[in-house]
Amino acid sequence: MIGLLLLWQVVSLFFLATFLPSPAELLTRVAEIFSNPSAYLIVGKTFERILVGLVLSMLIGAAIGLVMGMRRAVASFFDSWIMVLLTFPAISWAFLSVLWFGISDLAPIFTIVLIVFPYVTMNVWEGTKAMDKELTDMATVFRANRLLLLRKVLIPQLMPYIFSSLRISFALSWKIALVSEAFGAGLGVGRELTYWFQSLRADMMLGWGVSFMVLMVLIDLLVLRRWEQRVFSWRQAAVA
Amino acid sequence: MSLNAVEIESLSKMFPAAGGLSRFTVLESLTLRIERGTFASIVGPSGCGKSTLLNIIAGIEAHDSGQVRIIAQNGTKSAARIGYVFQSPRLLNWLTVEDNIRFALEAQNIGKVSWDERVKKYLDMVGLAGQEHNYPLKLSGGMQQRVAIARALAIEPDILLMDEPFSHLDEITARKMRVDLMHILKHAQPTILFVTHSLREAVFLSEEVYMMSVKPARIFKHLRVDIPRPREPEDPRLFDLEKDLVREFFSVLEKDQQ
Repeated sequence: MIGLLLLWQVVSLFFLATFLPSPAELLTRVAEIFSNPSAYLIVGKTFERILVGLVLSMLIGAAIGLVMGMRRAVASFFDSWIMVLLTFPAISWAFLSVLWFGISDLAPIFTIVLIVFPYVTMNVWEGTKAMDKELTDMATVFRANRLLLLRKVLIPQLMPYIFSSLRISFALSWKIALVSEAFGAGLGVGRELTYWFQSLRADMMLGWGVSFMVLMVLIDLLVLRRWEQRVFSWRQAAVA
Repeated sequence: MSLNAVEIESLSKMFPAAGGLSRFTVLESLTLRIERGTFASIVGPSGCGKSTLLNIIAGIEAHDSGQVRIIAQNGTKSAARIGYVFQSPRLLNWLTVEDNIRFALEAQNIGKVSWDERVKKYLDMVGLAGQEHNYPLKLSGGMQQRVAIARALAIEPDILLMDEPFSHLDEITARKMRVDLMHILKHAQPTILFVTHSLREAVFLSEEVYMMSVKPARIFKHLRVDIPRPREPEDPRLFDLEKDLVREFFSVLEKDQQ
């Protein structure tokens, strides 16, 4: 880590600060960016789109994956469509959604959902294949209705798959959000990046990129992982 | 009102053979009646179809012909409650001990008002008072199986099916569980159909023993065990009975093979 910083410092000596800033210069840029209150508004706006896109992707993806696991006909219908979505170039969605929805919140959200939900579906569908039939039989003998079976027996078995999808989807969503915003979304981190790119200011682009990355990593560590640990606390109970 | 809890009439079940084309008979016109409040065991070698029989009674496996009737206390057929203790505990590991029992109560549409009382009563009965809020994986295998027994008893079933419930436990734990089961049954008196491959277990626990032979499974002997309960595992009368039954069992098996 220190070696890397040192290397960065040395290399940056050969370039202009606006082309490749040194670590210290980068920190100054970050401080500059966040000394302006509008920066919080910009980050907030982008974050809002990520959140909406992520929640929609998770809900749509998990629902389709679950139904695919329960109904063979549904699985064979969606199987090929999911593959189509997974192979369709992500960048095309970013362009298309701007054409279809114009400069709006809808464009990045639409792009996120179309790219992310197929991953969630594949993951949850995989999870349905690993479900324990013995537990379903137990629930049937005790005459659990469908809703109870779903709530207490099936969905808990899918939780590991849902959580691994959630963390991957989160990482995917924020990258897609920035790209999509760069194409057209009004206020947002993506637009800041385009703006500073057009001003040939690599230092500002890095400043925005790095701060946003730090924020996302913190959310992953402090929110998603902790939540995951809480949901799976029953597992740590294992005794030899 | 019938005195029987379970009536099985010429029940047959076939399985497709390994090749796929032909089918072999697992159960052939099996008839069995279990009186309310008795502890009945079915003993037979592994693979004789005794688990299949339980699954058919429980409604999780189909049968080809014949009839299975479970008669509820109040005489109606639809309301009959079935409790099942499987070989492995089959608990929902993400729910606490208490919530595992509540799951069965909720599934059976038993009124919420009685949940707390039943959870407490049956956990006490199986010796797990104080474990309500623990997760199953924190418990030993024997304790997990006790939770499964409490879950099955808590719905106050018309028939309690037990499929070699102690076979996954070490022998010392299993022995203690058998003795404890006897004591539990002094308080709760469900009708039990217990399946095992161990004659010793069957004669120790049951009032009625049905012996089953293989392929196709049929019941070749029915006897009452008249030794009063609770019994001591070392009771010499049990050993004698077991010895006689083992002898009989092998003579039937040999005859089958000829």
